Amino acid sequence: MFTRLYEQIAADPINLAAAIITLIVLVAGAAYIVTYPRLFMLGLKNLRRHFLRTALTSAAIGVLAFMITTIWTIIFFIDLITVERSKDLKIIVTYRWSVPSQMPITHADYLNPASSQFLPELVDAQGNKLYGPNDFMTWSFYGGTTDPAKITPDTLILFFVMEPEQIIPMMDDLGDLDPKLVEALKDKPQGCLLGTDKLKALDKKVGERFKLTSINYKGIDLEFEIVGVLPDGRYNASAIMRMDYFNKSFEQYARANNGRAHPLANKRLNLIWLRVGDRDKFDQIGSIVMKSPRFSNFPVKVETASSLVGSFLDAYRDIFLAMKFVIVPGMLVIMALVMANAISITVRERRGEMAVMKVLGYRPNQVFLLIVGEAVFVGAVAGLLAAGATFAFFNLRWGGIPFRIGFFPVFRIPEAALMWGLAIGTLTALAGCLIPAWTARSVKVSEVFSKVA
Amino acid sequence: MAEPIMHIRNVVKSFTRGGEEITVLRNLNLEVAEGEFLGIMGPSGSGKTTLLNLIAGLDKPNRGEVWIGGRCVSTMTESQLAAWRTRNIGFIFQFYHLLPVLTAYENVELPLLLLPISSQKRRDQVLNALDLVGLSDRMYHRPGQLSGGQQQRVGIARAIVTDPTLIVADEPTGDLDARSAVEILNLMGELQKGLNKTILLVTHDPRAAERTQRIVHLEKGQLLESEEMQAAGLMAPSDSFQAKAQG
Ligand SMILES: Nc1ncnc2c1ncn2[C@@H]1O[C@H](COP(=O)(O)OP(=O)(O)OP(=O)(O)O)[C@@H](O)[C@H]1O
Ligand SMILES: [Mg+2]
Repeated sequence: MFTRLYEQIAADPINLAAAIITLIVLVAGAAYIVTYPRLFMLGLKNLRRHFLRTALTSAAIGVLAFMITTIWTIIFFIDLITVERSKDLKIIVTYRWSVPSQMPITHADYLNPASSQFLPELVDAQGNKLYGPNDFMTWSFYGGTTDPAKITPDTLILFFVMEPEQIIPMMDDLGDLDPKLVEALKDKPQGCLLGTDKLKALDKKVGERFKLTSINYKGIDLEFEIVGVLPDGRYNASAIMRMDYFNKSFEQYARANNGRAHPLANKRLNLIWLRVGDRDKFDQIGSIVMKSPRFSNFPVKVETASSLVGSFLDAYRDIFLAMKFVIVPGMLVIMALVMANAISITVRERRGEMAVMKVLGYRPNQVFLLIVGEAVFVGAVAGLLAAGATFAFFNLRWGGIPFRIGFFPVFRIPEAALMWGLAIGTLTALAGCLIPAWTARSVKVSEVFSKVA
Repeated sequence: MAEPIMHIRNVVKSFTRGGEEITVLRNLNLEVAEGEFLGIMGPSGSGKTTLLNLIAGLDKPNRGEVWIGGRCVSTMTESQLAAWRTRNIGFIFQFYHLLPVLTAYENVELPLLLLPISSQKRRDQVLNALDLVGLSDRMYHRPGQLSGGQQQRVGIARAIVTDPTLIVADEPTGDLDARSAVEILNLMGELQKGLNKTILLVTHDPRAAERTQRIVHLEKGQLLESEEMQAAGLMAPSDSFQAKAQG
């Protein structure tokens, strides 16, 4: 939980800002409670006295915080995917003319630095390859079911087919995978790594075996041995199997069918990834690949991961822009207004009380702090609870927000959302209460107690 | 007369409203001795509350000076005044003005929270003040659970809990029935005699004024002693028995 939080904070300036605000709020709140414990208690009692108003205000703020958390989760992931992490810039090579991309397996050899068929154009004048073996990986997808009679998400497994060596250097978020898992996979030709959800759905343990009936490669049914579990996170519903096992199964199919190859045998490579480091390299390598005559029978196209997703999401762009720059800010403004409204009613009602406190010797700043304390307490608590409820509700129920666009099944609400809730609750409460609290601060006692006709 | 604990010199206070200047206090002078119980009377709108506000440092005079306990109130800054008020002025209001969310105990404790004293001492002082006003058995009641007279006693306990130089009461019986009013006045009399408190009591009620040692009348922005009032033929009939009692 905390490592994920840390990653989210490092990945996004908005999360960083929310983290800083959260820290400030916690420190300032603690300082306030320690310095003015009685003023804080007085504030709480005032909130309790007008319980209905406090509850309604919190509810309004909570609903808005809930909506913002939901929307921002989606925006957050779309941004994360479409903004290029330049150090990790990858070329994705796919078949040019159809989706999903299906390519002959030989395409991989031309782009694999470890292969003897590596394109000579990709070697520079000094004899250096433009990228190393750790910057290359291939993707195939093998899907099957444990129960052909009952195909449900629980009986379905979609395997990412790859070389075990490629996992750590190339897969997103698996950079610190335990190398023992890779070794285990290399030891067993039929081995596979499963995500925790899949393991649970299969009701199997590491070391056990299971059989799949293929969905996308008819007639190629395989048996697997579970050699390890993928770390908790984005791969919970995924599975990884070995490329050579996949390839061999096609040879076996041909042998069993009098030498007749599987109809998809020559289309079983789906993607190739090349890590290129920066934009210039991307352009250079990309144009070499595009121009190479080797691919003329099965032409390819090159894209970045973000542009691939980006072009797909283009259709939604206006909606995202509107969510980000109109709806979310608009809701923040409404949150501040709700708070401003509630606090100005309170201040108006309690003018006499403020005046009395001043008569007793309370300084204007203390009166100001009392009101700000009440507002911020409501905002922070309502924001945090709403975000917490959103987090628990969607993540526990569906594993995320079930907002289906294309290949994103759910948007998992990040841990950082708890900080968003606290931060927006606090900031909007602060923004909303400043003017009314200032009015309270500058209540003129002489005007409250004399008859100003 | 003992050394004056408070004196007001040539105070002028005016307000501007709608571009028009209303002078409420004109060259007003007043001396109050330590331990004195002074009644201030005067018609509605004559400026009694305005005068108390100046004394308590809640407002500033346009001209003139207010001295209390050797300090010039009219020249202090707002934050100096706030700290000064806690220790030197106990204010009693017509409408009690207790904080509704706090118990009697907590209301009385409120001014003490501003002073650097131990919580034990604070507790002792609160209990003592509540005891003096006879409300020890009601200290965990909130204002809504107390009668008007009881609320006013809490108000008085809050005013005396810091042992202030001066207690200022603005029509403390104005909102009470006759019996409660008498009780409150008795209480104030006891405080003045028993604890030698200096009390300024603003009132419309002649029976209240009767309890005081000296009465001044606010007329046309100036203070007149009762004798002067009589001499000027301004004495209201209802005020006359007070003059007789003293005479
Ligand atoms: N802050 C103010 N701004 C403008 N005018 C004021 C202000 N305070 C008091 N006044 C005016 O000064 C005059 C005196 O008011 P004040 O409240 O002192 O009278 P009072 O003697 O206490 O009356 P009452 O017996 O009805 O309480 C009134 O005319 C009032 O309208
Ligand atoms: Mg008045």
